[in-house]
Amino acid sequence: MTILLLFTFSVVGADRPIGASTYIPYLAGLTFNLDPEKYVYLKQIEDSGAWEGVFLLGMLTGGFFSSIFITKTFRISLIPTAWVKYKNNSVKSRMLYSFVSGFFMIIGARLAGGCTSGHFMSGMGQIAISAMVFGGVVLVTLIITGQLFYKLKSEDEV
Amino acid sequence: MKDSTLFERIGGMFENVAAQGHGSLLFVFFAGIVFGTIIQYVRADKFEKIAGFAMLKDTIVPKMLFLTVGLTSIGLYFMVDNGYASYHIKPIILSGLVIGGVLFGASMAIMGKCPGTGPVSIAEGRVDVLVGAIGGVLGALVFTIFYDDIFHPLMGESMGKLTLPSLVPGYETISVLLFGGLVIAISIIIPKKELVDEADICQITGKQKTKEETTSH
Repeated sequence: MTILLLFTFSVVGADRPIGASTYIPYLAGLTFNLDPEKYVYLKQIEDSGAWEGVFLLGMLTGGFFSSIFITKTFRISLIPTAWVKYKNNSVKSRMLYSFVSGFFMIIGARLAGGCTSGHFMSGMGQIAISAMVFGGVVLVTLIITGQLFYKLKSEDEV
Repeated sequence: MKDSTLFERIGGMFENVAAQGHGSLLFVFFAGIVFGTIIQYVRADKFEKIAGFAMLKDTIVPKMLFLTVGLTSIGLYFMVDNGYASYHIKPIILSGLVIGGVLFGASMAIMGKCPGTGPVSIAEGRVDVLVGAIGGVLGALVFTIFYDDIFHPLMGESMGKLTLPSLVPGYETISVLLFGGLVIAISIIIPKKELVDEADICQITGKQKTKEETTSH
């Protein structure tokens, strides 16, 4: 992973950091045919959005083949095993939470200007203060939410 | 752009990347494949890994992240120092970082994915994540449309693109080594815990793969 990050940063590679959340508004722009001339934000992300769009296609390809040939875990599934164990076994509830959390996750990532890849890995790799602030806040919220949201006690009784 | 079809717009994306000078189209695609494969191989795309970390039942993701960050910070510093790479620092937009971080962290605990691992698990056949991604695209749509009125003012002013070494002039190299070493030490100190998905083990049949974080190097 480190080698990939370093290589992407390097002048022989792409001379830019890896990111994985700018492509989402870019895709939204593509899908709904928003005019970049009209929306300031789309204009700003035109280039990095396109870069990450291609990167995303690679990610999908890599994940797909690796899940089939290497880890052999490819399967169509609707609900994660641990969700059933620690939350509930309703597919509807998982879908709803998934949808809502996806919605807010992207707004959060765009507000902060990055996500786990862009801020945490690429950003902290550059020892940027912005990435440390973001990383700290995310870690704390992540754990607090995890402790409150999932039923951890019931698991101990089983 | 206004009346173009979806396919024309996708074609435009490829042309844009090819013209950017940030690596050839093939390189970007290939970097994506490597990234996706690593994430898939170390199973960082699994719900059990990120949500499991939120429950403090699985520590593979933070161990891996900290190790990567530590190694990268040291390696990258010397590459930049010798002119083989350059920094691309994101600005400190304090309220954006904090509000965004809270939203992002809470969503990540519930979804069990981040925007980097989500696509990988969709590629692995997880329909619930696909639904989350649709939510994400709508979130992005809202963000884009109301960027000027709501979100941009909310992010606050940039306080500059600072890095830790730039705060201690004269001690740059030492501060980088200290930071990198500390982060690597954290990754080693965090106790190793794993929450595995029983469904996967049944599917693999036979021995369960050992998920050493060494695969992430």
